[in-house]
Amino acid sequence: MKKQLFNVSILCLVMLFSGASWAHHSFAAEFDVNRPIEITGQVVKVQWINPHAWIHVEVVNSEGNEIWKIEGGTPNTLFRRGITRDTLPIGTNIVVRGYQVKGGGFAANGREITLENGNKLFVGTSGVGAPDDGAGKSK
Amino acid sequence: MVRYTKKYINSMTVLVVCLSWFLAACDQKQTTALYSSQINTQQTMNWVLDPHADLIWDSSGFVVTAQGVQNLAPSTDEEWDAVRNAAASIVEAGNLLIMPHHAQGRDAWIGHSRGLQFTGMELLKAAENRDAQALFDLGGQLYINCQSCHDQYLDLAAQERLN
Repeated sequence: MKKQLFNVSILCLVMLFSGASWAHHSFAAEFDVNRPIEITGQVVKVQWINPHAWIHVEVVNSEGNEIWKIEGGTPNTLFRRGITRDTLPIGTNIVVRGYQVKGGGFAANGREITLENGNKLFVGTSGVGAPDDGAGKSK
Repeated sequence: MVRYTKKYINSMTVLVVCLSWFLAACDQKQTTALYSSQINTQQTMNWVLDPHADLIWDSSGFVVTAQGVQNLAPSTDEEWDAVRNAAASIVEAGNLLIMPHHAQGRDAWIGHSRGLQFTGMELLKAAENRDAQALFDLGGQLYINCQSCHDQYLDLAAQERLN
């Protein structure tokens, strides 16, 4: 009986702490809500792929060029919000507000994109752990 | 006419209840003995469902660069067959997740699993019809199936811990 209890305890601990990708598409697993970012740059590549669209933005600063990968919602989610393949042509200047990937690096979960004409696009997701930061809500 | 005493009726009631419980336990033991429950839910997600979902997601969409637009849709029979196989595996993953050791009697869990089966069946049709647009749209639906279940059953602490 004691041995069975021990085995069950070990199994529970293993289940609790093992595995890397059960939540591999969630905000909480990948991005840090305590690392908000705002970058300005030019769209150089857009991946309209599932489960997330990715917008690649070239940022020029004093240290050189950085290519940031910005994660958005599923393409169809963005399409339903009126964001189409024509909305972000290559070379478009944008400002991106979002949250950086855990551990740093040039990747982030995008929340809001501001176009040159001032229009704002909500590109974020709303899964577990995604911040309720007002992005995407009508003002 | 036979008259039963209260004591007799009570004894028979207890006997019937015990017998029913015993038979149900035997039936359950016989059913569970037919399959292995060694692969836990997390492993089923990581090893069975995820690889097939990834294949579905990697098999549609567009990549836009200064050089032009790359269409990721399958272009050969072999690529479409791989999508078909992944779709069938997603249907079967939905079946697996309904097994008692995964579902644990949770109705909503079973509902999410049936949603997975449905999307898998639609993906199967898309593969058989060589319908790239449907494959793309259903890829989004598949993510919604996954995310809605994660939102309900995978809490924030667990998701952060898994990073």
